Amino acid sequence: MRDTFKIVSNEKLCPKFYKLCLEAKSIAQKAKPGQFVHIRVNAELEPFFRRPFSIHRANKYLEICYEVIGPGTKILAAKKPGENLDILGPLGNGFMLPPQGIKKVAIVAGGMGVAPFLALTDQLKKKYEIILLYGGRTKDHIFSLKAYKDNGCKIYISTDDGSVGTKGRVSELFSKIIPDASTYIYTCGPKPMIKAVQDFANKHQLKGQASLEEVMACGVGVCLGCATATIHGYKTVCHDGPVFELGEVVLGK
Amino acid sequence: MDLSVKIGNVTFKNPVTVASGTWGLVEGYSSSSLGAVIPKTVTLYARQGNPPPRIVETPAGMVNAIGIENPGADAFIAGKLMEIKKIGVPVIASVSGNSDEEFQALTEKFNLAGVSALELNLSCPNLKHKTLVAQDPIAVKRVVALVKKLARMPVVAKLSPNVTDISVIAKAAEDAGADAVSLVNTFTAMVIDVHKRKSMIGNFTGGLSGPAIRPIAVAMVYKTAQTVKIPIIAMGGIMTAEDALQFIIAGATMVAVGTASFVNPETPVEVLEGIKEYMKKNKIKDIKELVGSIQGS
Ligand SMILES: Cc1cc2nc3c(=O)[nH]c(=O)nc-3n(C[C@H](O)[C@H](O)[C@H](O)COP(=O)(O)OP(=O)(O)OC[C@H]3O[C@@H](n4cnc5c(N)ncnc54)[C@H](O)[C@@H]3O)c2cc1C
Ligand SMILES: Cc1cc2nc3c(=O)[nH]c(=O)nc-3n(C[C@H](O)[C@H](O)[C@H](O)COP(=O)(O)O)c2cc1C
Ligand code: FES
Repeated sequence: MRDTFKIVSNEKLCPKFYKLCLEAKSIAQKAKPGQFVHIRVNAELEPFFRRPFSIHRANKYLEICYEVIGPGTKILAAKKPGENLDILGPLGNGFMLPPQGIKKVAIVAGGMGVAPFLALTDQLKKKYEIILLYGGRTKDHIFSLKAYKDNGCKIYISTDDGSVGTKGRVSELFSKIIPDASTYIYTCGPKPMIKAVQDFANKHQLKGQASLEEVMACGVGVCLGCATATIHGYKTVCHDGPVFELGEVVLGK
Repeated sequence: MDLSVKIGNVTFKNPVTVASGTWGLVEGYSSSSLGAVIPKTVTLYARQGNPPPRIVETPAGMVNAIGIENPGADAFIAGKLMEIKKIGVPVIASVSGNSDEEFQALTEKFNLAGVSALELNLSCPNLKHKTLVAQDPIAVKRVVALVKKLARMPVVAKLSPNVTDISVIAKAAEDAGADAVSLVNTFTAMVIDVHKRKSMIGNFTGGLSGPAIRPIAVAMVYKTAQTVKIPIIAMGGIMTAEDALQFIIAGATMVAVGTASFVNPETPVEVLEGIKEYMKKNKIKDIKELVGSIQGS
């Protein structure tokens, strides 16, 4: 559950995006797509909390992709190969397989929200037709495309500045490429995007799953700090989630 | 080496426990070697808790406003408590009521639940007054006395640090018959997002915990130990055995690890091991020699 693991590489994908590879067999072997790890980036008191990151891929190594946002991810970005990291994981429920009868899945990802989906497509590629709708700020913020192509995904891209793909938001792109009613949805990204996907899915009676983010302390369902509203009351993102039925989550404005 | 400590007529094999709301039956939170466990506070009826966001990170700590989300006493006793008891570690159940009647009903329920002690989380509304019970010595006296009258196990009064002089409140609990006091609960606190000009906590204010509060908590335990004779269960930012030893030397009989477990779930066990090492190194045969052993300057 908790151990220290050696960093194999920690490379820059674009100015603020990094990919971290860890020698973490015990986690990689157990990990399911959609689960996450909780990393203590500093043995001192600052920053105090661990930082949660989705498992991008779990093969030989455990891979994590992250964006430098604040002090925690800044410290992470400065870590060198050979250094050790204190990690709790794998945590959370992970994605469930689509229900029986589904052949086609659409993944709607915004920004770093794409991170958990490479592992998911690794799992789904054999049995499902996969459409990836992927939105980022600019062409530099789009990554792992080759791996998604290798997994047979049909890819649609949108960027805020139009530097690659369609200009605009991925949720708009989603509503244009209207998937037929038999398409199953997986989504992760900023809350407004998930909300837009949910609204669209409701309108067209599509089902799916959403992976959510909340600030976390324990990461294992103890503190009840990462509560998110659902139609069944509050649930913890770390333990009951991070993956929820798309129709179950109650998102604010 | 004798690590055992006593609260009322109950002996615990060692002084290390966990703070309510910061421990659970989860892989990684090993607890079989601890003196006791204190699960999250339960109320008479289920509570859904506060709206998110419920926590925010602060320098060397955190602010939380969970709102005592819990399944209610009956569901807890029939469910989780049964699981917890299987670890074989004494359980100090934490309860909180909205009224005297609720505290009475909770005591009666836990009398039949087979727990080693009852901790009263007194950071609850004091009806008719705009304070918490823990902020009013008269209310503390009343609640502790009525629980003591019914309880078949030792009663611990958990105190809030949000008072002018915590030792006055501790004295009120002692006078009402409490077998121990535990301190401190969290310090009322707030963090504001200046860009949105909004509180970072859904409930607006919350409670500060973690190493940031430790020196204040040590001073409060020290002052309380000078004032009351009953044992003190101390908590507030314990991350290491040395932190715990500060509380013991200041006068605490037991120590509870709280927020630190979120960073390292093995903290309580590491604290216990560290206390043993300290005793060995300093040739202390009985932990009770250490309690309140602070030297004059
Ligand atoms: C289940 C889960 C999976 C995640 N997966 C990834 C991922 O694969 N790649 C990635 O780049 N980011 C991911 N995040 C977000 C990532 O945890 C935050 O970006 C990171 O914690 C920021 O830390 P910081 O110190 O750099 O930023 P700060 O903003 O300074 O952090 C301050 C506090 O807010 C918390 N926080 C900030 N942003 C978020 C957020 N979006 N979600 C939850 N807590 C946040 C931090 O953990 C910390 O407690 C994930 C979050 C969750 C909950
Ligand atoms: C997330 C969280 C939940 C808590 N829940 C409770 C609770 O249910 N009942 C209670 O008496 N104290 C509760 N506390 C307070 C702790 O038990 C403890 O008194 C306080 O956090 C100080 O200790 P620490 O700094 O070691 O955490 C909670 C604290 C935190 C951080
Ligand atoms: S982070 Fe503690 S319950 Fe989810």
